[in-house]
Amino acid sequence: MTKQFKKVVTVLLAFTMMFFAFMSMQVKAQEERSAVYVNPPEDWSDPFLWAWDEEGNNAFASWPGGEMEADPDNEGWYYIWIPSWADHMIVSAGEGIQTGELIKEDGNVWITIADMENAELSQDALTDGEIPAYVEKFKIHVSAPESWESPTFTYSADENVSKALKMGDDGWYTGNVPVDAGSFTISGSAEGQETESIATDPAEVWITIEEDESFDFTYNDPNAIQAPDINVNVTVPGDWDTPCLWAWSAPDGTNAFTSWPGEAFAEGEEGWLSLQVPGWINSIIVSANEGNVQTTDISVETGKDVWITISGSEEYEVSYEAVEVQATEEAKEADEADSAETAEEPEQAETPVQTQEEEKSGTNVGAITVIVVICIIIAVLAIFFARKKKK
Amino acid sequence: MKKIIASFLSIAMLMGLLCGCGAGGQGLTEEEKNTIVIWHDKEEAVAEALLAQLQESVPDVDVQLEHKSNLTEALKMVGNDPKAAPDLYFFAHDKIGVYAEMGILTPITELIPKENLEKAYVGMTLDAATYKGEIYQLPIYFETLLFMYNRLYMPDERVPATTEELYAYMSEKTRGGHYGFVEQHSTAYYSAGWIHGFGGYIMNGEGEVGLENPETIAALTYHKKFVELMPGESEYATVNTLFQEGKAHATIGGPWMVSASRTAGMDLGIAPMPVIDETGLPISPYMGVQGVQVLKYAAENKREAVVKVLSGLMQPEVGIALAKVSGCAPAVEACYEREEVTSDDVVMAMRQTAENTIPMPNCPEMDIMWTVAADMLVNINMSGQDVKASCEAAQQSAEDLIRKMQ
Repeated sequence: MTKQFKKVVTVLLAFTMMFFAFMSMQVKAQEERSAVYVNPPEDWSDPFLWAWDEEGNNAFASWPGGEMEADPDNEGWYYIWIPSWADHMIVSAGEGIQTGELIKEDGNVWITIADMENAELSQDALTDGEIPAYVEKFKIHVSAPESWESPTFTYSADENVSKALKMGDDGWYTGNVPVDAGSFTISGSAEGQETESIATDPAEVWITIEEDESFDFTYNDPNAIQAPDINVNVTVPGDWDTPCLWAWSAPDGTNAFTSWPGEAFAEGEEGWLSLQVPGWINSIIVSANEGNVQTTDISVETGKDVWITISGSEEYEVSYEAVEVQATEEAKEADEADSAETAEEPEQAETPVQTQEEEKSGTNVGAITVIVVICIIIAVLAIFFARKKKK
Repeated sequence: MKKIIASFLSIAMLMGLLCGCGAGGQGLTEEEKNTIVIWHDKEEAVAEALLAQLQESVPDVDVQLEHKSNLTEALKMVGNDPKAAPDLYFFAHDKIGVYAEMGILTPITELIPKENLEKAYVGMTLDAATYKGEIYQLPIYFETLLFMYNRLYMPDERVPATTEELYAYMSEKTRGGHYGFVEQHSTAYYSAGWIHGFGGYIMNGEGEVGLENPETIAALTYHKKFVELMPGESEYATVNTLFQEGKAHATIGGPWMVSASRTAGMDLGIAPMPVIDETGLPISPYMGVQGVQVLKYAAENKREAVVKVLSGLMQPEVGIALAKVSGCAPAVEACYEREEVTSDDVVMAMRQTAENTIPMPNCPEMDIMWTVAADMLVNINMSGQDVKASCEAAQQSAEDLIRKMQ
């Protein structure tokens, strides 16, 4: 490579690096999508589409699936974009109103529904004009004061768009906001009932509005069933002083305690050490001796009392039924004996260099023996020659 | 008389040397001399790519790859035994010191001229491969942590250029169960980037412990306010899941996260590390170099085949193929003249980030530091203990352990 070429390469590399320094990089994983148009019977309102493929992959997280939007340019027609791989569909419009399984071919599809048993699929466009572009949206759940009758949400797209929120079975209103909307407001039917601009991440969110229009939000479903508190019961080796419990929910990392090492166990029943923790935890660590010893991460089932017999950092038994104390102690003794044996093994593994040196010196024994023998012969010869010289 | 004794002693020494050396070298058939066994701990795709490249570049050498899940321990146990040890092993550079001290490695420069290496490789990879002045590794590819963000939440124009911008972003966005930024804040490998950004170190290239240095203490003190805006638990699975499930806007993670994030459909952005406002230096993580080390026995008894394999591994095609399957950046400089490398934004980001990385120390004492530093970080970040006192205690603990080790 010539010097000039090297220079060119260096400059190119520098430009590439500058590009990355000023322009952050992005890798976009775009999914191919197909449009599904539906023309339902007149007495079907607010249709939803549920879609999946033969392998059982669902296009939507839960039934009834994606809410279809009315096409303002084609009265009576609703549309939705779904991943192209989802070719099995059901259209529904409330409790007990739904089609049978509909299977589409590749590409966009227009479905004309006569009734629940009869629907016709067409690959040819049955609507006029362009299909509205796909807009990714996220779902908002809203809990508004009772006085806010028929609440609406408003976001800014090309122009301000206001839509009614729909009441769900769980008592929360819901709506879908484009991910690039940035923010939105929620209004009640009476004058002055309007929140300030709400800027959330474009992700499913639950918003609670108070009478004074203030609000708070969370990305965790507040309606999710909360597991009741559980008791964690442990026995630990005799030399583990003041054992503490650290507990959390994996993989989201929510901790039961604010700081390590957590909370100390209290004396429980029948010789067990016990501590009550929230039922949603699924991972624990037991530590003792001011953190000088601890178990590895122990996975436990959520919402269940648990009994854990710990006999070493990595030796423990988990049970979801109370274990007899006597049996526990016996097991502990046995495990302690085991761990005493196994405790020596890592120590040997920890000093492999020494082991290797010992092995090395072992392999040289033959050579050393030869040298010693030769040295003895030399010494004997030296004495012999010395005596001969004296004579 | 003296002459006679001297002669006998010389013969004796010669015999001793011959006894010491002769055990392995004798009796190797031509076929055995031409067979090179390489231990590795890599995933199947990497091994397959390596083997395919070697079969193409050195078809006359019988290269055999053997996967060892516990490679480092196995090498410690049998590294000196020609019957059980491999000829080469493919592993990260940070264990070089351990095996060099055991006396089982041959400097690469005894097989490939040093100037050839210096011409061929990205400079910092050779720095990483050097232990006590000798280059013990032929680098193949390197990896470093990257600043990654989810463009659904963090548009390009909001990517923080400085750590104070990052903090402001975290303060604004960490709410309702979502986090502006997450990292494995109490793991030494990840915290090292912040420490280096303050000019501190966990252990420097000379094997000196730097936990109680003012720069390290300043770094960890500054870092704490970021930790307060992250989940308390910061193990690998937690951080990865938070980011990949869309509960965290940004993270500092390894290239291994790229593929999973893409598969999850994330619009993934990769940006330069934020510059620490206090020092003007970017967060500077460790760099790891994966490469090939040669065992002494093989260098002495299979020299010709070993040199052929090493020369084959120096071809840009090998680096490109392996970097592709590993998601890392090739160590051979010439690879960066090739379109398939320059068009890979992740690799180029790694190449750029690597300009400010610190090679992981490769001295044996570093083994101790991972645990000591992790305990220190837990005390500071999770137990709320005083930073200075925790650093000083950890320094003392590390020095005690190193003394015992020696």
